[in-house]
Amino acid sequence: MAQDAQKPQKSVLLRTIATPLILTALMVALALLTLAVGSRPFNQTMIDIFVRVILVVGLYIFVGNSGVLSFGHIGFTCLGAYAAAWLTMPPMMKELSFPGLPDWLKAVQLPYGPGAVLAALFAGVFALLFGRVLMRLSGIAASIATFAMLAMINTIYANWESVTAATNSVVGIPIVRTIWPYMIGAIVAIFVAWLHAVSRFGLALRAARDEPTAALASGIDIPRVRLVAFGLSGVVMGLGGALMAHSIGVVTPDTFYLGLTFITLSMLVVGGMSTLSGAVSGVVILSLLIQGLRWLERGVPVGNTTFALPGGLQEILLGVVMIAILARRPNGLFSKEFAWPFGARDRRGPALAATQTVPEGDA
Amino acid sequence: MSLLAVSDVTIRYGRLTAVREVAFTLAEGEILFITGPNGAGKSSLMRAIAGVTPPAGGRIDFGGAEITGRAPEDIARMGLSMVPEGRDVFGSLSIEENLIVGTGMHTRERGWRVRAASALEEVYDTFPILKERRHSQAGLLSGGQQQMLVIGRALMTNPRLIAIDEPSLGLAPNITDQVYERLIGLRRHRKLTLLIVEQSSTRAMMVGGRMILMRGGQILLDGDAQAMGQSEALQAAYFGYAEGEH
Amino acid sequence: MLQVLFDALSLGSLYALGALGIALIFGVMRLVNFAHGDVIAFAVFALLWPSVDAVAIVFAGKMPWFLLIPFILAVGAGLSVLSEVVVFRRFRHASPATMMIASFALGFVIRYFLLMLFSSRPKSISLLPALSQPVEVLGARMPLLQLITIVATLVMLTGLSVFVRRTRFGLEMRAAAENFTMARMLGVRANRVIMGAFALSGALAGAIAIILGSQTGTVDIQMGGAVMLMAFIATVIGGLGSLEGAVLAGFLIGAASVVMQTVLPPEARPFRDAFVYGAVILVLLFRPQGLIAARGTKERV
Repeated sequence: MAQDAQKPQKSVLLRTIATPLILTALMVALALLTLAVGSRPFNQTMIDIFVRVILVVGLYIFVGNSGVLSFGHIGFTCLGAYAAAWLTMPPMMKELSFPGLPDWLKAVQLPYGPGAVLAALFAGVFALLFGRVLMRLSGIAASIATFAMLAMINTIYANWESVTAATNSVVGIPIVRTIWPYMIGAIVAIFVAWLHAVSRFGLALRAARDEPTAALASGIDIPRVRLVAFGLSGVVMGLGGALMAHSIGVVTPDTFYLGLTFITLSMLVVGGMSTLSGAVSGVVILSLLIQGLRWLERGVPVGNTTFALPGGLQEILLGVVMIAILARRPNGLFSKEFAWPFGARDRRGPALAATQTVPEGDA
Repeated sequence: MSLLAVSDVTIRYGRLTAVREVAFTLAEGEILFITGPNGAGKSSLMRAIAGVTPPAGGRIDFGGAEITGRAPEDIARMGLSMVPEGRDVFGSLSIEENLIVGTGMHTRERGWRVRAASALEEVYDTFPILKERRHSQAGLLSGGQQQMLVIGRALMTNPRLIAIDEPSLGLAPNITDQVYERLIGLRRHRKLTLLIVEQSSTRAMMVGGRMILMRGGQILLDGDAQAMGQSEALQAAYFGYAEGEH
Repeated sequence: MLQVLFDALSLGSLYALGALGIALIFGVMRLVNFAHGDVIAFAVFALLWPSVDAVAIVFAGKMPWFLLIPFILAVGAGLSVLSEVVVFRRFRHASPATMMIASFALGFVIRYFLLMLFSSRPKSISLLPALSQPVEVLGARMPLLQLITIVATLVMLTGLSVFVRRTRFGLEMRAAAENFTMARMLGVRANRVIMGAFALSGALAGAIAIILGSQTGTVDIQMGGAVMLMAFIATVIGGLGSLEGAVLAGFLIGAASVVMQTVLPPEARPFRDAFVYGAVILVLLFRPQGLIAARGTKERV
C-alpha cells in the first residue's frame, strides 16, 4: 500500500490491468472454442458476439463513464458501416449502388482492414462534431438529443438515394468469415476503453458522474471530458459498424436503428452499465441466452419426439429474463470490475469500480 | 408510557454508518431537541423515524406499535407528522392545496370535511399570512412563510407528534423567533408532542425542554437543555468536533 | 391553409395524448415508459380473435361504439396497471436507466406476445367505418374522423385537466409528482397514486389505439411505435413531468411536422423528419429543462 502511494501514476495502470487482461483471455478463449468446434453457424454466432462486444464496449466508453444514457450511438455504427461499404466495395458495384459518390471515392478499393480503420475515424469525426453541440446537455435532455441525432442520421441514410442507396440493401460488401479480425477488434475496443477509463479524462468524467458539484468546483470542464469520451466511443462504434458490415455483407439503414440500439443498451445495462467487465459479460451472457433460446425454438430431440418452443416465445423469455435480472440486480450483473482472483492488491479495482449507492442523493 | 421509543437504531448507507445504536424515548406532550454538528446523523435518524430510510438495525415504536420499516404513509396515518429539512413545499400547488394534501388520510372517517375545514381555519388563525395568500403558488413564498406553511401542513394531519428538521435553516433570526413562538403556542394549546432537530443548541436552551446532543452518529448527552447549557460537558462535546467530522 | 391547420391539429392530438401518457407516469415514478407504444397495440388487438390471417377476425370489435370505446380504454388501463403491479413495482428504487431498460424489455414481451398470437403481418380492420366519410368545415374538406379526433382530444384534455386540478386524487398526484417522499409523509398512499397514474396513462394509450386503428384501417404490432417516439420526444421538450408542457410540445411537434411538409422544397421533403429532429436538438439546447420546467424533477421516489 505504501509503495502504491509513492508512485500513483504507475499503480493505477498496474492495479487495473487485470480487467482488460481477463477480458482479453475471455475473448481468446471464445475464438479458440470456435476453432475447436469448427462449424460455420457457430463461427457466425461468435463473430456476432465479437461485433456486439465492440459496440457495447463503445457504448460503455461514453455511457458507463458519463452516466448519460445515449440512444444515439448506433448512428455512428451506421456511419462506420456505410463508410466501410464505400471504401471496400469493388468500383463497379459502387457505380450501381452509389452513383452519387465522388469519383475519387468510387475509384478506391481498400482491403477491409484499412477500410475499417478509416471508417472508424470517419464515425469519430462525426461524433466529435455532434458532440460539440450535444455535450452541453446532461441528463435526460442529453439522452433525447442523442436519440434525435440517431433519427436524423437514419432519416438521411434512408433517403439519400444516390449516396446510400436509401432503404435498398447494399450488397457486395466483401464478407470476412475468419474469426480473428473480429476478435482483434473486440480486444482493441476493450483496451481502448480501459486506457480511457484510467486516463485523466476517464477519471474526471467518472468524478463528474458521481459528484457533479465537487467536480465542477475542482475545475473539471465537464462538456470537454464528455466530448473526449463521446468522440472515442464514436470511433469504436464506427469500427464495430465496419466489422458488422463485413460480417453480414449487406447493410440497410434500418439495420442500425432502434432494434440494435435497444439490444446493445440492454446488454450494457444487464451486464452492469458502469463497468467494462459488465459491458463485455452482458454481451456474452445475453448472446448465449439468445442463442440457447433460438436453439430451443428450432427444436431439440427429446426421446423420440422433438421439443420446440413456439415462435416468438424466444423473445418473450428473453424479455422476462432481462426484467428478472434487473429486478434482482438493478446495477447490472457486474457492478465491480474483474480482478485477479488471488493475491490481488485491491479486489475492488478502485480506479474502475462503480460507485455504490450514494447516500442522500447528489441532486 | 412513551409516545415514541427509539431502541438501538443503526442506519447505514452502503458502507457508511450514519447512526450507530441510538436509543431514546419521548413522552406524550414533551418537547425534545436533537442537536449536533453537521454529519451527526440527525437527519438520518429523522428519515428513519418517518419511514423514508428504514434502519439497518434496532426498532422504533410509536404510540405503542412498532413502526420499524413501515411505509412513510402508514406512519403518517398513525399520527406522526414529519417536516423534513429544507421546507419541502409543493411549489406548483397553491398554499391551500398544500395544506389539504394532508387531510386525505382522514377521508374515510365520518365528518372529516367539517374537521378538515376547522383545521384549515385553525392553521389560518395561527398563520394569518397563509390565509392572505391562500391561492398563490407556494413556491413564491419567502423562506419564513414556507416554514410556516410546512408546519401548518403538518398540523392539518391532526398529528400526535410533529417532528421538524431544522426549522431555522436559512431563516433570519427574527423570523426564526416568530416560527418558534408559534410552535410553542401550538404545543401549549394542542398538547402537541414536539421533536425538533437543530444544528445549534442555543435555541434549545432558550426554549427549554429536553435536549439530546449527537455527534458521529451517536448520542453524547441527554438531559435538560438549560442545565446542559451551564455544564462544561456540552462545551467539550461541541468543540470536539473540529477534528473528527467528515 | 385551413387544411394544414387541421392536419397539424390532428397529428398533434396523437402526439399530445401519447406525451401525456408518458408524462403522467414519469411524474410520479421517474420512469420513461417505453412499453407505452406496445400498450397501444395491445389495446387494438384485444378486439380481435387470435389468428395469423391477413384479415382480422373481429371479436370484441363487433360491439357498438358506446361499448367499444370504453372497452378499449379499459383494456389499455388494465394492461398498464398490470405492468405496474407485476414489473415496475420492483423497480421503484432503481436508476432511471435500469427502469427504462426494464420498460423496454416489457414492451418486447408484449410485442412478441402479440406476434405469437397474430403474426407480424399487418391486418386490415374496419373500426368505426362511419368516421371516414368526408365532411366540410369552414370550406375545408376532411374526413369526419379528423374532426372527431381533434374534438375528442380537446375534450379528453379538458376532462383530464379538470380531474387533475379539482379532485383529491388529482391533488395527490400533483403533490406526488413534485415530491413523492413528502407526499407520502403526509399520508398519500404511494401505490394508489402510482396505480392511478398507470391507469390514466393506459386509458390514454387506448384512446390513441382507437384513433390510429380507425385512421389507418389496419392493425399492426408495430403501430404504437412511431407515435410513441415523437410523443416521447414531446414529453422531454415539454419539460419531463409537466403535463401542460407535454401537451403543448405534442401539438408543437405535430405542427412542425405538418408545416415542414408543406414549406420544404419537394426534393428536401423526404428529409423532413431530419429537420424535425434537428429542431428538437435546437429546442433542447436553448431549454434543456423543457418548455415548461416541472418542479422537483430531481427528487426520486
